[in-house]
Amino acid sequence: MEDERIIHTKGLTKAYGPHVALDNLNISIPRGATGLLGQNGAGKSTFLKTVLGLIQATSGEGTVLGYDIRHQGVEIRQRIGYMPEYDALNPDMDAIHQVRYSGELLGMNPVVAMNRAHEALQFVGIGEQRYREISSFSTGMKQATKLACAIIHDPDLVIADEPSNGLDTKAREFMISTLNTMVNDGQRSVLMASHLMDDVERVCENIILLHKGKLAAQGKIEDLKAIDREIEIHVWGGATPLEERLLSQGFRVRREGRVMRIAHTQDDTTTQILRAAADVGAQIRRMHEYEASLEDLFLAIMDNLGYAVKSSEDLLRSPLEAKRVDAPESLGGGSS
Amino acid sequence: MREEVALQPEAPVTGQGRMDVAWGANTGDETDQELSQANTAQGGEIFEQHYTPWRGTLNPRWMRNWAILRHHLLGIFRKGHRPWTMPTRIFILIAFLASLSDAGMTLLSGLVGSSEFHGLFGVSRDNLYGHVLGFFPRNVLYYPIIAALLVGSVISEDREHGTSALYFSRPVSRFDYVSMKFVSVALIQAMVVLGSYLLYFLAEVVAYGRGWAWMVDVFPMFLAGILAGLLLIFTYTSIGLSLSSVSTGRFFPGIGLLAIVFGTKTLASIVKNLFEREILYLVSPYDCVAHVGQAVIGTQTTYDQYSWTYSLLALVAMNALALYVLATRVASMEVTRE
Repeated sequence: MEDERIIHTKGLTKAYGPHVALDNLNISIPRGATGLLGQNGAGKSTFLKTVLGLIQATSGEGTVLGYDIRHQGVEIRQRIGYMPEYDALNPDMDAIHQVRYSGELLGMNPVVAMNRAHEALQFVGIGEQRYREISSFSTGMKQATKLACAIIHDPDLVIADEPSNGLDTKAREFMISTLNTMVNDGQRSVLMASHLMDDVERVCENIILLHKGKLAAQGKIEDLKAIDREIEIHVWGGATPLEERLLSQGFRVRREGRVMRIAHTQDDTTTQILRAAADVGAQIRRMHEYEASLEDLFLAIMDNLGYAVKSSEDLLRSPLEAKRVDAPESLGGGSS
Repeated sequence: MREEVALQPEAPVTGQGRMDVAWGANTGDETDQELSQANTAQGGEIFEQHYTPWRGTLNPRWMRNWAILRHHLLGIFRKGHRPWTMPTRIFILIAFLASLSDAGMTLLSGLVGSSEFHGLFGVSRDNLYGHVLGFFPRNVLYYPIIAALLVGSVISEDREHGTSALYFSRPVSRFDYVSMKFVSVALIQAMVVLGSYLLYFLAEVVAYGRGWAWMVDVFPMFLAGILAGLLLIFTYTSIGLSLSSVSTGRFFPGIGLLAIVFGTKTLASIVKNLFEREILYLVSPYDCVAHVGQAVIGTQTTYDQYSWTYSLLALVAMNALALYVLATRVASMEVTRE
């Protein structure tokens, strides 16, 4: 039976001697597109290697597409398409033969692999250049070829490591739209590791955020954004008294001149802001909910975590916030 | 409105017709509405992206291993597989043809009918040994250089280009990866060393009309030659691949293999000439194989101061060391970053 959760780990830990690369990860990734975020050294690569069944976890368990990561690495790698971050193509080969060979390495018959290589290269937009040597390709074309190698066997899950890294605007747009087509039209799942928050936001519905080997946050991007929801107001006359009043009432306020952003933590925040403005005689000329970007969210989470705090409880300590986050119950989450 | 130009096959090709075809028959007759539409038309790409699913079945492990073997072997002969460099391919061809020199001379001796000629080049215990393990020219000019050209990039290129990720992110184990690369390189060498050996033997059968009795008589000797050839190929391959696995370029493994083969032999030879001591031949891969080969084939040994079993032990030790380095280095190859 196909599990709705394509990746599920419980207490997953990987240690290299005294260094703990993955620390008690409880991750649950649903079908669709998921972004894997984290700073350098956060454990993304170790997580991917563990998921691919290439390294043994020190403790804990996990499944990928229903297969056990401890014993069924071969089965997992047969059903996954992995697109590495770095160059993974032989520059002296033609694109078509490189993609065909990657299919053969999965166990595809050479003739079938060749037919499928044509389709995959057509899909990623370099069908017309498929007989060119890879050494003559641009970065975007190399990225597309790597994606073609990853999808030649029509995998259920594509793991794309920095797919839009180093691409110009046009190539980046195309890569994003290709991944979106895979998810939306092809009904395939994508796990996308990237530093480019904008790209992750455009492709993925969910994110996993790792920090120093620990799970910092996971869930739907929209839900996670609720952690950093703010109301933006433009004030004329009495901005300073209004700021002081709001601060005295316990609101978190960020101000730059006439523009203030107030943390939207309660249902009647708007009413309280208007009341405070009336009390101090300030004019609010504009008021709207400020939509945080994923980058804002990332920074907010990192601010919240600092560099010493290592658990998601720190992030999700507020029950209200925890309810909005689709994190496991053990991490303070749960459906609202 | 102008009249429509009838472009029938039988219509005469006139200047007006050519102009109409080149510029369009109705140019200048557009209405204002048509013009405004034409001006607002956007440039676009003729590309529709469709994801095509595939519901085939993937073959088991042997097929994946065959793919690696096939990729490397067929690359010698044609495009679309592993791109061996043109100098490598040309050198293999030249070495193969040069290795057939004794086969050619045997055929010639059969035609001429000269027994002295046959004694020099025909199949005999010494000549079978010489075909596989003779130092000059085969183990100076041909076989080690072929090995060096082949092993130079077999694993190091995967480190250099990051193509190890292509293997290990797929259901290919490290053992399968390294063993198939080993077998591929060994088979290409075997095509030259043992392929020419078989043709040499066949040339003797053809040139002298040898029958079953002769073939049965020399069969153990023939097999011993093959065994010696396999030992030579295995040793060159294991040392060469271990060097390839510690490098990210093709120059170092190739030149390193040649340096080990020729350097150790030269050193041992100098020590023997100066001090009358042969023991240093135990560090020379070629000499160890040659000593064991002489014992197996049964020719006069040229290493007198110690038993061939010492050479066999030294050979086992150097191959074990090379395979250990190879296994360790391949185990450390990364998927996510190299």
